[in-house]
Order: sequence, then structure tokens, then C-alpha cells
Amino acid sequence: MFFHIYLDRNLQLHPRHFGPHLRDKLIAKLIQDVEGTCSGRHGFVVAVTAVETIGSGLIRDGTGFVTFPVKYQCVVFRPFKGEILESVVTMVNKMGFFAEAGPVQIFVSNHLIPDDMAFQSDDVPNYKTSDGSVRIQKDSEVRLKIVGTRVDATEIFCIGTIKDDFLGLIGDPGGAT
Amino acid sequence: MASRSGQPVEEEDASELKLGEDFVKAKCLMNAEVALVLQRKYEQLQQLADDPSSQISQVFERSLQYVRRFSRYQNPDAVKQVREVLTRNQLHEFEVCVIGNLCPETVEEAKALVPSITKRGRMDEEKIETMLTDLATIKKFE
Repeated sequence: MFFHIYLDRNLQLHPRHFGPHLRDKLIAKLIQDVEGTCSGRHGFVVAVTAVETIGSGLIRDGTGFVTFPVKYQCVVFRPFKGEILESVVTMVNKMGFFAEAGPVQIFVSNHLIPDDMAFQSDDVPNYKTSDGSVRIQKDSEVRLKIVGTRVDATEIFCIGTIKDDFLGLIGDPGGAT
Repeated sequence: MASRSGQPVEEEDASELKLGEDFVKAKCLMNAEVALVLQRKYEQLQQLADDPSSQISQVFERSLQYVRRFSRYQNPDAVKQVREVLTRNQLHEFEVCVIGNLCPETVEEAKALVPSITKRGRMDEEKIETMLTDLATIKKFE
């Protein structure tokens, strides 16, 4: 899910940037520093939308760098366990398939794919029901539920399932169940 | 920013609206709303810089692609109306956005996707039905 949240951060700025454009420099640095980063606590920072306040700077002893406390608003993407979302399949293999929802990668293991769907190693590897009515392959759109998340320093990785009511392939008549 | 490492970490579960202390009061955004925000920012960046690609992070690009593909409502007015309809029913922010993103068609589907919706006796089937009809109408006349 995408959220709009307030975050704060201490920015260190070199004295050469001090002058009439100090505020612009700080905002540019903020955007450069935080956009595209990911933390386990707040998820992926997609875009800074507004800078709320810039506090008064504090000169660091010895270096001349100044630290400014900055409060800003941003759009973040944070997946949650139990959340249901839509995603695009990026890779299919016999262990399961990978899907992408915005910046986050989700793996759906073949244990979490309904039992009536089997792996087919055709030209385009896919999961298919025996009657062929539902077929999941690369670029399919799939609705899934997140059952677990793993967080490391720069990435969030999710495990998903499509073995539940109203999950699975979407945009395909009769395939949504 | 006091560290709260002493407290036990409550396990998060979106189906019961346990989002952790950072997000429980945060404003959620529907995909359609994110699409509006990012699209605007993308256009601004293109105007400002000669080489927009250097300014845009991979996370931004992938998010934009994603919300463009999955936003159910294109028209900004429609997006606003959807949010109005959903908040009128005293739903939690998170529930509002899940329903706005997934557009369930039946009451059964809505209950399966947002299990918390019937908890605490806030909504009965009739109310959900009316809400879903309202949403379908907005979509139709978008």
C-alpha cells in the first residue's frame, strides 16, 4: 500500500552552499538522499512531496559542516503481511513465480498456488489449470495476498499466496476466482 | 526520535488493521491518487531538467508504471468521489484504499478482501452492497 507520511531527517550541508539559495540546496539534497531508498520501518520512499519545516542549523565541531533538521512529507510504499494487492508476474519457474508490485518483489511458491494449477515448461513457462481456463505466465496480472515479509538493509522482499478466495489471475473472464 | 527498542514488537497483520505505530495513523493513498501525484511530479521533472532520467530513481519509475497499470479511476474528480463514498461509511483509511484499489464487485468478495470490514459490527451486508453500487456508478460515469 502507498502511504503519505511525515518523516524527519538531519541533513549535513557543506558551507560552500550557504547563500541565498540555501533552502533550494537543502531540498535538492534531501530529494537526492531519500528518494529511492528503502528502510524496513518505512518502506520504499517513492517521492518527496513537500518540505514542512527546516530547523535552524547546528555547526559540527571541527568540520564546518552544518546539520539541519528537516521535516518533510513523502509518498512511501510499504507492504504489510495480510495485505491484498495486484501485481505483474515477472518470472515463472517450477518453484513458483515472481511478481512485482511497484518497487517490491513478491515470490509465490508452488505450494501457495492452487493445487489444480500445474507448471508447464513450454516456450513461455506458465501455471495452468488442467482445463486451460486459467493460465499464469510472464506479464499476467495477478491478485495476491502477502503472507510474509523479509526486510534487509536496502530491500523488502515478500512471500505471497494465491490460494484463497478471490485471489489469482485478474482481467480474465472467469479467472478471478 | 526516541528509540523504542524496549517495547515488544507487535506483529503486523493488515487483515486485522495492525499496521504498527508508524503507519496506524498515516494517510493511505489509493493507486489512482498515487498516479496523479507521481504523474505531476514526473512532468515537473521533465520540464526542469534536460536529462530527466538522471533525476528519476528506479523506485519512482517502477511505482509510476505500477500505478498507471493498476489505477481504476483515471479522472481526478472520480478519484475524489470514490474517497468520499468510502470515508462516508466510517471505514479505516487502510480499508478505504484496499477497496478503492481492488474494486470488489460482490459483498462476498469485499468481505474476503477486507476481513476487518465486518468486525466490530460497523457494517452489515446491506451497507456494503450500497457502497459497492455507489462505486460502480462512479466508475460507469467517469
